[in-house]
Amino acid sequence: MSSVTVNQAIVAELYTWRFLKWVLAICVAVVAVFPIWWMFNVVFADPGTPVSINPRLYPTSLSSGLSKIQIILMETPYLRAYFVTIGYALLTILGMLLIGSMAAFEFALFDFPGKRLLFGLVMLSLMVPTVVTIIPTYLLVAELGWLNTMQGLVVPGLASAFGLFLLVQFMRTLPREMIEAARLDGASHFKIYWYIALPLSRNAMVTLAILTFMKTWGNFAWPLIVAPKPEIYTVGQVVGLFNAPFSHQTVDVVMTANLLAVLPPLLFFLIFQRKIVEGIAMSGSKG
Amino acid sequence: MNARRHLPHYAMVLPFALLFAAFFLYPIISGFYYSFHDWNAATEARFIGLANYEAVLKSRDFARAMTNLGIYIAITVPLGIAVALALALLVDSFTGFWANFFRSAFFLPVVLPAFLAATIWRWMYAPNFGLVNMVLGWFGMPSVNFLNDTGTMLYALIAVDVWVSAGFNMVILLAGLKNIPQDLYEAARLDGASRLQQVRYVTIPMLAPILFFVVTYGFISALQVFDVPWLLTGSSFTAYGGRRNALLFPVMDMMGRAFGAVRFGEATAYGFILTFVIILFTAVMFGLRAWRTPK
Amino acid sequence: MISSMCRAALLATTAILTGTAALSAQELQYWVYSDFAQGDALKLQQEFIAEFEAANPGAKIVMSGRGDDDLTSGQIAGAASGTLPDVFMNGLNVGAQLVEVGALANIYPEWMAMPQEFRDQFDADAIKSCSPKPETMYCIPYTGFGEIMYRNLTVLQAAGIDTATPPATWEEWLGQMKKVKESGKFAVPDQTQVFNSVASMFAIGGDKTQWGIDFDKKQTLIQPDGATRALQTFVDMKPLQSGTSRNDQGTKDLFITNQLAFHVVGPWVNPSYEQAAKESGLKYDYVLVPGGKAGDHGGIKSYEFVGVAPGKNREIAWKFASYLTEKKQMARWAKLLARYNANAAAMKEPEVNALPLIVKSVEAVKYAVDVTPPYFVGTVPNCYRSIMTDTASAVADGEYNAADGAKELIAELNDCLAK
Repeated sequence: MSSVTVNQAIVAELYTWRFLKWVLAICVAVVAVFPIWWMFNVVFADPGTPVSINPRLYPTSLSSGLSKIQIILMETPYLRAYFVTIGYALLTILGMLLIGSMAAFEFALFDFPGKRLLFGLVMLSLMVPTVVTIIPTYLLVAELGWLNTMQGLVVPGLASAFGLFLLVQFMRTLPREMIEAARLDGASHFKIYWYIALPLSRNAMVTLAILTFMKTWGNFAWPLIVAPKPEIYTVGQVVGLFNAPFSHQTVDVVMTANLLAVLPPLLFFLIFQRKIVEGIAMSGSKG
Repeated sequence: MNARRHLPHYAMVLPFALLFAAFFLYPIISGFYYSFHDWNAATEARFIGLANYEAVLKSRDFARAMTNLGIYIAITVPLGIAVALALALLVDSFTGFWANFFRSAFFLPVVLPAFLAATIWRWMYAPNFGLVNMVLGWFGMPSVNFLNDTGTMLYALIAVDVWVSAGFNMVILLAGLKNIPQDLYEAARLDGASRLQQVRYVTIPMLAPILFFVVTYGFISALQVFDVPWLLTGSSFTAYGGRRNALLFPVMDMMGRAFGAVRFGEATAYGFILTFVIILFTAVMFGLRAWRTPK
Repeated sequence: MISSMCRAALLATTAILTGTAALSAQELQYWVYSDFAQGDALKLQQEFIAEFEAANPGAKIVMSGRGDDDLTSGQIAGAASGTLPDVFMNGLNVGAQLVEVGALANIYPEWMAMPQEFRDQFDADAIKSCSPKPETMYCIPYTGFGEIMYRNLTVLQAAGIDTATPPATWEEWLGQMKKVKESGKFAVPDQTQVFNSVASMFAIGGDKTQWGIDFDKKQTLIQPDGATRALQTFVDMKPLQSGTSRNDQGTKDLFITNQLAFHVVGPWVNPSYEQAAKESGLKYDYVLVPGGKAGDHGGIKSYEFVGVAPGKNREIAWKFASYLTEKKQMARWAKLLARYNANAAAMKEPEVNALPLIVKSVEAVKYAVDVTPPYFVGTVPNCYRSIMTDTASAVADGEYNAADGAKELIAELNDCLAK
């Protein structure tokens, strides 16, 4: 076999692969994005046309969509719910990242008596379904007098077993030599965490922050029982008002309420996604 | 003296440990206590020994829910992760704008809260005129009643599930992929490894800790599957699980027993039975990993 | 135990506070269904509240809306932590659960203390639903529904059916459905999918007197002969139905686009159909549901209710609840929403009586059966509902014939209740 044909074969393989990967990527992108695009079209459609008969491939009426959005924003506590939910999500993220990364730093990089037991317990709690704990947790929050408060929403979720697990898995890959070197230089334990471990696990932190934001934004059951007052309704609860099965609302209004609920996370993601990429790429080039 | 050396470690773990003890450990222990009681959350609990566990294990819904769960997990976990890994590799093979573009597109479903994803897919799946059936119609296939035909309901759920979770796992895997030093690939390429071989011998072993996380977490969350099937079947506390309970899962059954029948003791016992199953699963996973690593 | 101590302490402090400062504002938490807290309904509720607050200085009512399940879970959680809403709505079908957790006060004394004239305003059957045993009353019935049958006149006329007289019996109805199918359209939604539509068919094709549960004996009241006839209706409808449940949006869309002839459901569907009639020329009407024999009608009914929580605010809460349900308010409420409610006197008010949907509902309620009687006695287990729908679909799918299905159904229901 001459080297020319081998080269040709490699080039051919390269081209088919390139072609295929584009086709594949575009197909998957369509499947992923279309349902959301469809929801958008339902909202921005001429009123009165039944939703499920007409496939809605593109929006038809900007004004009717805008007027529906206006009605909902005026008549429901949507704007306040945005603030409440953003506060809820941000406080949860900050608290979880701080507390979780401090603990993960220890669990991933050091040994101390009781570590295995504690970590085992945390992992165990990941396996207990929420239904089991929701009423006892609720009763505890009630006794603390935290019903209908922000701390009632946020604090019980801070010690996230999921977050700890994710951070520990990432921090295990941190280079121990750097930590040893810093210790030999006389850096304090907290300084090593703050100046070395945290910056190095930035990608994991960003990932956890995004995922936590999405989870908090979509969280429904917990705010519902712990914060039943309308002044502290989250977006999930406000949308729940529209999604009730026997609601007299027509579909396009229901879908508008739903669209308003996803708009902030959607924008958040689209705006910050470059930052997210940079974060991931930068810490990736450590080798 | 030894304790003093460990002090900084405990100090760092303390905030987490305290919150964890108060809001996870205590509720779990209290839940465990109630699982042996006849308890409706409002009135005094009455000790009834193992009766709750017995009632759950003997009920026909439990058997049905566990069977559904078994099939569901056996498909959705490997499929979901395979898809996520494929997507991560696919995105990783692009650079610049397009890598960015496709990653955003694939991640988009994760942005949707579960209730919305399920609401949209209920429409997509509608018989005769839903979008999926319309596409099938273009290829001359008959309409399928996805959410009401006991033969298709589970697969319809799995499709939604993969749609929702693939982007989530992809992001985690991508972060891991970015951490693999490029020189390893170069070395493999110099050794004449094909693209697939590079995946097999460089990517997967280097991704192992992250993959392990994704698989374990996938298992644990699949075992607790709740909101998507709940909404796809239009369930409420008093009637749930869909046609002939084809989409009945343990957590749904628990919610129904708790808030529909106000038998919180029974629901808690149900929860601990499920926890036991989850622990078994995870122990097997950890065991497998421990068995593989020394090699 | 800690929580009960806290509750006692809280009660003690509030007792002291109210003793010394009886005139300070008394805040009542008032929970309503989410669609009563939106749009015009919200405005009218706020009007009621303003009137009540003006008449009762010191009372302040905080209203919040929530979906059906969220009402129930919120009330259960509230009962557990001693933070119940003072006045709230819910459905009769979860009444027993709410009694069990102590969320509902027995308002019989308050009810009896009201003038006869007030008590006579209400539909007697609806009041009976709230009173499971003598000297016990857990609710004031509020809005409600009796099922009606929406007919798409375009579809029916295209199938060559005379729409002047609606089908009176199941046989007549089935004959029309078959004609619709022959003309290439769907006749009905899939009635096996949800419990309420199965119940509805039991009231149409089966026996209305054999329906419900005997909680003392832990047995179903369903008997084999009636069940056989009811289950046979699902077999007959199998080739005629659309595959969507009666609650699916898809069903409404099929009806609006002239693909579906009949839709047996409550009045809440009417706004969608009314809108379609205006915008896309839908031609439809609503009639009473056919019955087992001529002159009778089937279908189900149920009520939402207003309940009062036991506790320190009970007195003022009752006052508010009785104000809400009084004839004047109920008439305004009915007129605004064009929805039937349990205040029979309000239904007779001329401007309410002029609304066709209400007139039809008043009539439908007379014939319809309760969905899950008896109320406030025992919790209907989930298996009871799923066995009903499962057996209906199994018989429709041909797994059993109707007679075997009926036997199987009764055996399984009794087994479910025995646990």
